Amino acid sequence: MKLTRRDLLWGVAGTAGLLVTPVPWKLLDDVSIWSQNWPWIPQPARGPVEVKQSFCTLCPNGCGMRVRMASGWPVGVAGVASHPVSRGALCPLGFGAHQLNWHPRRLRTVRHRASSSSWEAARVAFAKACSEGPIAIIDGYPGRAASSVFETFVQKRNGSYRTVPGPETLALAPYESWSGVPAAGLGYDLENAQTIVSFGAPLLDGWATPGRFTRLWAERAAGSTDPQLRLIQVEASLSRTAARAWQWVPVHAGSEVALAEGVARVLLEERLVPARGPMPPMTLAEAAEQTGLSTGAIVDLARTMVARLPVVAIANDDNPAIAALNVVLGAAGARGGIVRRSKHAESYASAEADVESARAVLIDSTVPWDFAPPTNAEVFRFAAWDGGTGTSDWLLPAPGFLEDLTDVPTAPASAIATYAVAPSLLKAPPEVQSAAQFLGGIDPALITVEKIIHTRCADLFRGRAGTLQGQETTSVAKVASVQKLEEQLWKGAVWIDEPPRSAAFRCELKEWPATVGSAPAMSSSENWSKAWRAPVLPPLASKLYLESSLREPPDRRNV
Amino acid sequence: MSTKRNILVFGLGLGLTLLAGWVAFPRVLYVQKQQPLEFRHKTHAEKSGMAECSQCHALRDDGTFAGIPAMETCAGCHSEKMGTSKAEAILVDTYIKPGQETPWLVYARQPANVWFSHAIHVKRANLACAECHSTYGETDEVRVYAQDRISGYSRDIWGHSMSRLRRAPHEGMKMSDCEDCHRRHNLEVGCLGCHK
Repeated sequence: MKLTRRDLLWGVAGTAGLLVTPVPWKLLDDVSIWSQNWPWIPQPARGPVEVKQSFCTLCPNGCGMRVRMASGWPVGVAGVASHPVSRGALCPLGFGAHQLNWHPRRLRTVRHRASSSSWEAARVAFAKACSEGPIAIIDGYPGRAASSVFETFVQKRNGSYRTVPGPETLALAPYESWSGVPAAGLGYDLENAQTIVSFGAPLLDGWATPGRFTRLWAERAAGSTDPQLRLIQVEASLSRTAARAWQWVPVHAGSEVALAEGVARVLLEERLVPARGPMPPMTLAEAAEQTGLSTGAIVDLARTMVARLPVVAIANDDNPAIAALNVVLGAAGARGGIVRRSKHAESYASAEADVESARAVLIDSTVPWDFAPPTNAEVFRFAAWDGGTGTSDWLLPAPGFLEDLTDVPTAPASAIATYAVAPSLLKAPPEVQSAAQFLGGIDPALITVEKIIHTRCADLFRGRAGTLQGQETTSVAKVASVQKLEEQLWKGAVWIDEPPRSAAFRCELKEWPATVGSAPAMSSSENWSKAWRAPVLPPLASKLYLESSLREPPDRRNV
Repeated sequence: MSTKRNILVFGLGLGLTLLAGWVAFPRVLYVQKQQPLEFRHKTHAEKSGMAECSQCHALRDDGTFAGIPAMETCAGCHSEKMGTSKAEAILVDTYIKPGQETPWLVYARQPANVWFSHAIHVKRANLACAECHSTYGETDEVRVYAQDRISGYSRDIWGHSMSRLRRAPHEGMKMSDCEDCHRRHNLEVGCLGCHK
């Protein structure tokens, strides 16, 4: 075909004309919208939209959540500003949690050593293991009604109940051995502290209940050169918390123990605190050498710490030297420091202890995916999402987000005791079961989670203490009946205990704790990232992580 | 070919394209659909004393917007036929008595990934309904629902003007329209303000 001048003119005129019509722009817009509505893209059903109150159960902190439901399906999640601990904030994973149930790695079939199996086969195998030897059940969020089911089950079979404590609970563990108060009954009284020294704890990056410290910091410190709340961040890298802190103390990675000992020595030698010992073994010069700071900088840090009291040091994990520094500072068992929130807390054994002799180990879905029990026993792991490589013999699909009734006991590190109920807002698919339901199938005499929650509500009602905080705040003493109390809790209210008459506890430190081994292989912030990592991420959370740098992996940090 | 002829060919090509783009394209793009019922806003306001939009298009106690009223609201008055019109007969016989919801075509329907709070705009910002929905609530006719064949949404979302230039404030409900209004009121919101 020969191209003539006329053809060319037609073409140029047509193109020029087309560009000044709405055709290309409107088509571009329409096609982009059309591509968002392809039939294989999940769309919420059209129907009545309602908002239900619940709690996030992706970690033990139980932040308050408003779940927007369209035709009975969750389509959006927001924080609850009136929640006494989370105060309206959610972490990126929580914001995208409603997408998790559609995640491609959602588990829906029972697997036995990478082959497809059935619930019946898993039940038979676990019952057989129970009859052949001791069993262990590992729980990620102790204190729930489901935890009671686990404890009852193992007690009847002479087994062991173990927990995988999070970094916040681990950081409180040293006080348990020095005071006898279970770590699960201790918390940080951040609201009354004037100076907080964080040894690598990501206080502004989602530490503990994400909204608690971020709101506190926003109210009392943000944007002020002389804030009411001084946050001193001791960390090797300029993390988000370090960048926003009142003061960043850059130290060599893994030298937090040396700095704690150096500071304690200055406090004791210069008599900046009432405590008189014990004296840490490390000299100031040794501490300076290990941390990379000058001796003068360590002295200045010690003086700054006690310039505005109360002061509390926060460790990132089980670090006895930093706990000992708190004892020297007088922060253990004192207002604005580490306080005892409840007299009824239990002490839990860590999953690292004696599970190697078990015939079988059952791991609840609340245990982080990365956790591998130190045992050669047959492992039954419950999980809602497949986190990738795993060593479990049995992989059992657990209910996903909002698909299982659970209660929410006090969050780790909280200074006040709380209790809430997260009802199942969604019907779980028939092919999934919670660990408590699975055990109930083996031992029908076990009390169900629902009945335990009912009993706990009745106990709260009988106690007549504390308040219910929902749309309104009501004293429990004024609640007419246990049914009313339970109804309010099921609708999203939070029970808040009265502050203990005395939050103090006696902490005896006869000698400075020995430093275990040399410097840790990973820095404390790296430990935190590893401990927190979620098995899968919904698209919204991935986007938030990427754009906000929240909880960035260590290899992306500028050291 | 002479210059005049060249200009003529060019002009003809340009003219035809402009004609196709501005006149034929919208007619092809939008399919005209009739609402299932003839509904008269003005009559309801004047004869039944339902002058406030919120009497039917209410906010629920939890702040969510009820949208088009459910059949039970209509049945409050129209449980039996209130006149002899064809629309009245369809309403009662086809929808109210069998308990079927009327399949209204919603002019302002947005994609599922958009979160919009009527409560915030009406109660906190004191916006009148007409600022976004025009004076449709004062008319006595049912507008034709022009549906975009590609996107599936109403023409009200793009606005009546294909060029989107010099359109009235209530015209258009695209993201850029929300952004423009927010900018005018010095209220910047991030992505997550609407896409939760």
